[in-house]
Amino acid sequence: MFRVDLYPTHEKDGMKMRMGKALPFGTTIVPGGVNFSIFSRDATSCELHLFKKGEKEPYAVIPFLDEFRIGNVFSMIVFDIDYENIEYGYKMDGPNDPKNGQIFDKTKILLDPYAKAIGGREIWGVDPDWTEPFQHRSRVIFDDFDWEGDTPIEIDMKDLIIYEAHVRSFTKHKSANAKYPGTYAAIIEKIPYLKELGINCIELLPIFEFDEFENSRISEETGERLVNYWGYSTVGFFAPKAGYAATGKFGMEVDELKNLIRELHKNGIEVMLDVVFNHTAEGNERGPYISYRGIDNKTYYLLTPEGYYYNFSGCGNTLNCNNPIVRNMILDCLRYWVSEYHIDGFRFDLASILSRDQNGAPMANPPLLETLAFDPLLGKCKLIAEAWDAGGLYQVGSFPSWGRWAEWNGKYRDDIRNFLRGDCSAIRGVIERIQGSPDLYGWENRGATASINFITCHDGFTLMDMFSYDEKHNIANGEGNNDGGNDNNSWNCGHEGTTDNQEINLLRKKQIKNAITTLMLSRGIPMILAGDEFGNSQFGNNNAYCQDNEISWLNWDLLKENEDVFDFFKNIINFRKNHPVLRVSHFDSYYTKTGYPEISWHGEEAWNLDYDSDTLTMAVLFCGAKEKHNTEEDEFIYVAMNMHWEMRGYELPCLPDGKKWYISINTNMNSGEDIWECGNEILVGNQKEILVGERSIMVLIGK
Amino acid sequence: MELTFDEKKGIKVVGFIGRLDGNNAKEVQEELLSNIELNDKSEIILNMPGCEYISSAGLRLLMILAKNLKMKGGIGVLSGMIEEVRDVMEMTGFSNIFKNFIDVETAIDYIQSEREV
Repeated sequence: MFRVDLYPTHEKDGMKMRMGKALPFGTTIVPGGVNFSIFSRDATSCELHLFKKGEKEPYAVIPFLDEFRIGNVFSMIVFDIDYENIEYGYKMDGPNDPKNGQIFDKTKILLDPYAKAIGGREIWGVDPDWTEPFQHRSRVIFDDFDWEGDTPIEIDMKDLIIYEAHVRSFTKHKSANAKYPGTYAAIIEKIPYLKELGINCIELLPIFEFDEFENSRISEETGERLVNYWGYSTVGFFAPKAGYAATGKFGMEVDELKNLIRELHKNGIEVMLDVVFNHTAEGNERGPYISYRGIDNKTYYLLTPEGYYYNFSGCGNTLNCNNPIVRNMILDCLRYWVSEYHIDGFRFDLASILSRDQNGAPMANPPLLETLAFDPLLGKCKLIAEAWDAGGLYQVGSFPSWGRWAEWNGKYRDDIRNFLRGDCSAIRGVIERIQGSPDLYGWENRGATASINFITCHDGFTLMDMFSYDEKHNIANGEGNNDGGNDNNSWNCGHEGTTDNQEINLLRKKQIKNAITTLMLSRGIPMILAGDEFGNSQFGNNNAYCQDNEISWLNWDLLKENEDVFDFFKNIINFRKNHPVLRVSHFDSYYTKTGYPEISWHGEEAWNLDYDSDTLTMAVLFCGAKEKHNTEEDEFIYVAMNMHWEMRGYELPCLPDGKKWYISINTNMNSGEDIWECGNEILVGNQKEILVGERSIMVLIGK
Repeated sequence: MELTFDEKKGIKVVGFIGRLDGNNAKEVQEELLSNIELNDKSEIILNMPGCEYISSAGLRLLMILAKNLKMKGGIGVLSGMIEEVRDVMEMTGFSNIFKNFIDVETAIDYIQSEREV
């Protein structure tokens, strides 16, 4: 095809250019050159600086001519660029008047907010040249990955089983035996493992480009370097973290990540990203110029009337999410990840910030959240909110949803933890949580699938640590053990930390089994923390955000040591998959065609749970009618939970004629007898009553 | 990047020596196409032991070559890639475009066996 706009109209210092296309923002490869486009409301001038990869001085500086600006957008096509081997940045001039919000500095070189790849930190942990003013360097990418027909897989929300993992932690430890440890590519090696476990969605901690050296320091306690390990601090929203790619040093992180996603999809596993739109890596007034503040400080950030940064994120600044420009950037970003990377869903870090207006006040119908809920491109992708922020907004159960948004259910975590450790007052909460939290999600067209149920996540103790430590042990973080939450609701089972005491170790494993049984038998979407399935420990550290070492890295040797725990996880996940009555998007609990309610509550006496008194002994009966759930037979699942320190007897509800109770799970038994595969369940000798061991859960099925 | 052209048992063997990247991908493509024909009779081995690096642009060149060959019904395979190059190809999802053999002889055996099928 011939086009009339493929020819330069201007030339300067040997560089050829013409007016560009204002949209899309960022760079686009066009015939013969690259289109550059960038927005700034108040910039009076803008220069494009082109660098050979890694070089300090630009080989070309091209000012945007006045005639290359439309509205507040500078755009230009530059011809004959070896775009595979360049990096680019901008310098902008404009008002420097902090009180009025703008702090332009024409000496600062700035990253393109729409950069689709970013150089400067290509190999994880390798010290950059700190004398280099251009630390995070925009790059141009090929966007022609061959997806071989892949699309997002659109697993029904109610069937989702999420596995939360950190790219580096997952395979960095030598026990992971990965060829390129800690990378996107290494996750592919673990796909068979993930399939065996049975999860169908992997949620990755932030993978947008961040700077592991942000706030990096040497721990006085351990002498080790502490880094921004989790990456909850975005440098660029459109670029994958290059240091997570084995091929990052060749600038191929985009293809490597896409290949990972394609391979996961081929194996029926969705990919969800943990995204951080609440703040950026530029910090507060003393932070560096990376990009946004030098381009349009007032647009990108929430500022106090005096021009200081609001700090609702706890990280120095707050992105101005409900400003129309920033809102569009976020939308562009998510659309990009869905359409170009086939991402299946997003979990929004400190999402409540996204509901604040430009003065920081919470809004009833935040335009950004509404836009995302109704966007056509995001139409089938999962949207999950961490429904609180560091500024005191706590919206679990009340996050604006339009029937689209799910939430990390922090109350699920707290209630279940309290019950498991023997707090009898948790019982009323537990009853709500197991049903999918109708007290929180029983209106506004929400349902059980609005609840992401979890007992552990990256933030806090691992499951093993939850039963090994009463207190956090964060000394290695270098903050005098003051960081990390104190409301762990954990219990060390009688000894703080590791022990040779066999009784305690058995109890810990039993508690782990109790926890995962509760999680898998609750309505709502279960989420597992990577490594919990083999008893991974962070040695009591409940806030390992800065630990790039054995504290964070999953120790796969434990898989052998705790094979029984892994087997239990695998089987209980399978149990959930076999029983549709557990996986629903609604809260149905009324009488069904079976003659029983779909959910009923029991105590030590059948049909008689005293809702008004605190108790540690409770049972729930799920009855699923075959017509409704499309099963061969009606399902009867009876779950007796005894968090008491003594064995208790439970009267069993009667089954319809011809059916008998069989033991499917008994967490009080040793491995091999704790969970029975479908078809191999053990007939209960006394069909009237069972004895449930201390701190144990029994699951019976009626057939 | 230097290309060598050879023929063994009726099969074209193209040797790649040096780095294949955006600087030379276009020239390499032109040189390739002026020396080999892409049709249903094409049998081509891209012999890579001398190739120390392939960039994104280089991978795309190979991919386009593979797709063209496939469309026209010819056969193309790779041989003798050094480990790092092979790994990069694998990790970026380009490895399933060409079959990959340890050396030219094994690649020839494969193509000959394909002839019989």
